[in-house]
Amino acid sequence: MPLLELSGLRARYGAADVLKGLDLTVGEGEIVALLGSNGAGKSTTLRSISGLVPNLAGSLTFAGQSLIGLKPEAIVRLGIAHVPEGRRVFPGLTVRENILLGGSNRRGVPRRQLEADADGMFDFFPDLRRLEHALGWTLSGGQLQMVAVARGMMAKPRMLLLDEPSLGLAPLIVQQVFRIIASIRSLGTTVLLVEQNAHMALSVADRGYVLETGSLLVSGNPTDLWSNPEVRAAYLGGLASAASAPT
Amino acid sequence: MLELVPQLLFTGLGIGAIYALVALGFVLLIRAANVVNFAQGEFSMLGAYLMVILSGALGLPYLLSVPLAIAAMAAFGVLFAGATYWPLRHRGQLPVIISTIGASIFLSNIVLATYGPSPEVLPALFDSPGLELGGVFMDSQYIAIIVITALLVLLQFLIFERTLLGKKLQATSQDKEMASLLGIPVAVMVLITFSYSAALGGIAGVLVAPILFVSVGMGALISLKAFAANIIGGFGNIPGAILGGLALGVVETFGAAFISVPYKDAIAFALLLLFLLVRPQGLFGEKISEKA
Repeated sequence: MPLLELSGLRARYGAADVLKGLDLTVGEGEIVALLGSNGAGKSTTLRSISGLVPNLAGSLTFAGQSLIGLKPEAIVRLGIAHVPEGRRVFPGLTVRENILLGGSNRRGVPRRQLEADADGMFDFFPDLRRLEHALGWTLSGGQLQMVAVARGMMAKPRMLLLDEPSLGLAPLIVQQVFRIIASIRSLGTTVLLVEQNAHMALSVADRGYVLETGSLLVSGNPTDLWSNPEVRAAYLGGLASAASAPT
Repeated sequence: MLELVPQLLFTGLGIGAIYALVALGFVLLIRAANVVNFAQGEFSMLGAYLMVILSGALGLPYLLSVPLAIAAMAAFGVLFAGATYWPLRHRGQLPVIISTIGASIFLSNIVLATYGPSPEVLPALFDSPGLELGGVFMDSQYIAIIVITALLVLLQFLIFERTLLGKKLQATSQDKEMASLLGIPVAVMVLITFSYSAALGGIAGVLVAPILFVSVGMGALISLKAFAANIIGGFGNIPGAILGGLALGVVETFGAAFISVPYKDAIAFALLLLFLLVRPQGLFGEKISEKA
C-alpha cells in the first residue's frame, strides 16, 4: 500500500479549477518529483495534501487515513511536513527559534528534547550553526532554504513536501540543496518534490509525474521521462538530450 | 516653574503608563490577528466598571476584586473574539475593524443603559496617599500604575522571548499559514492574544479608575490616546507602543501645566499630528513603502 495516495483529486484555487482529477501515489522511502510548467497545479497539489486548499472531490489518503477535511495542524501531526515555496522562514525569529518551532506538531515533547533535536539539525546542516542566533530576515536565499528544510525535518515527518527548493538559488547552492534532499531519504523520510529544475529533480527522484493544467500528463521513472521527446520538449527543457539524462 | 518638572514627569509617566498598557493590547492584536481593535478602550472601561460592581455593589474586598475583574476581562476577550473577529476572519481587515467599532458602540451603550451618564467613584488601591522623594510627591496610585506596567512589560518580554508559547505567538503574528503548517494551533494563539489584550485593557481600567472617574466616555478617550501612542511609536511596534504611550502621557501633562489644562487632550493630539506630518512611520516603525 502506498504511503500517500491521491485518486481523482479535484481542487480549486480562487475561482479556477486547478486540479482536475489527479491520480498519484508515493511509496514509503521514495523521492517522487512533481514536474510541469507554471500553473500546472504542482504547488496546489502540495497545498491540497497539507490541508491549505480544500479538496472538492476525489480521495486523499496518507498511511491509509483520509486527509480530506483535516486542517493543516492535524495533517502535520500525522507526519506530513510541508516546506512551502518561498521558504516562509519567520523573519523576526532566529534560526534556532525557527527550527525549534518545526517541532510544534510533536505534542507533549518536552522543550529539552526539542532543543536537543534542534542541535541535531545543526549537525545535519553544519552551515547553519554559526547562524543559530541570526534573525530570519538577515539570511540569504540558500540559508533560508536550509532553515526551511531543517524546520520541516524537526517535525520528524514520515513525508516531506518540498516546493521549489531550488527557486532563486545560485547553481552551487542548488547542488547543495539536492545533496541534502538525497540525504533526507537516507534518514528514512519520504519526499514529494515539486521542482521547475527538472534535471536536478530527476537526478534524485525514484519516479516522476508530469502535470499539465491540473491533470497528469505522464509518469514514470526518470529515464523513461527523460527519454520521452514530447515531455522533454514541453516540460523538461526541450534542448536536453536523452544522452544527458540524469542518473 | 522648573521645580515642577520632576513632579510633572512622574505624573506624566503614570498617565502614559496607562496609555502604554492599552496601546500594548492594541499592538498585540494588530500583530497576531491583523485587527485594529477600536474597542480596546472599552476593555478599560469595562474593567473599571467590573471593579465598581465587584468592590462596590457586591462589596468584595478590593484586592480580591482586582484579580477577579482582570480574569473576567481575560474571559471577555475570548467572547469578544468570537463575536467580532471569528465570523469575519476570512473577509479582510476592514469588516473586522467596522465590527470592533460596532462592538465599542454596543458596549458603551450597554453600560450607559445600566449605569447612566453619571460617573462612578472608585477608591484608591492603597490607603496610603503616597511618599515624597527628592521633592517629588509620588501618589501611591501613580506608583502602582508605573510599577505594575513595568512588571507587565517585563512579564510580556519574558513570555515572548523565553517561552515556546511566546515564540508560537510571534510566529502566528508573522505568518499564520506557515504557523499552521508547523502544527501551531493558530486559532488558539489568536484567542490567547485577544484574551491577553482584553486583560491588559482591563488592568489599565482598574488602575486608572481611582484617578479618573469611572464613566462611559473613559473608554473612547483612552482608545484614542492608545491609538495615537501606536502611531507615535510606530504602528504595530511593541517597544514603540510603550514609548509612544509614555511620551503621550508626559507631553499632555506638561502641556496641561505649562500651556492650558482644558487643552490637555488637544496638545496630545497635536503631538500625533506632528508625527503624522514629520515622521508618519513613528519612532520605531518602517515606512509604508518599505512594508509593501
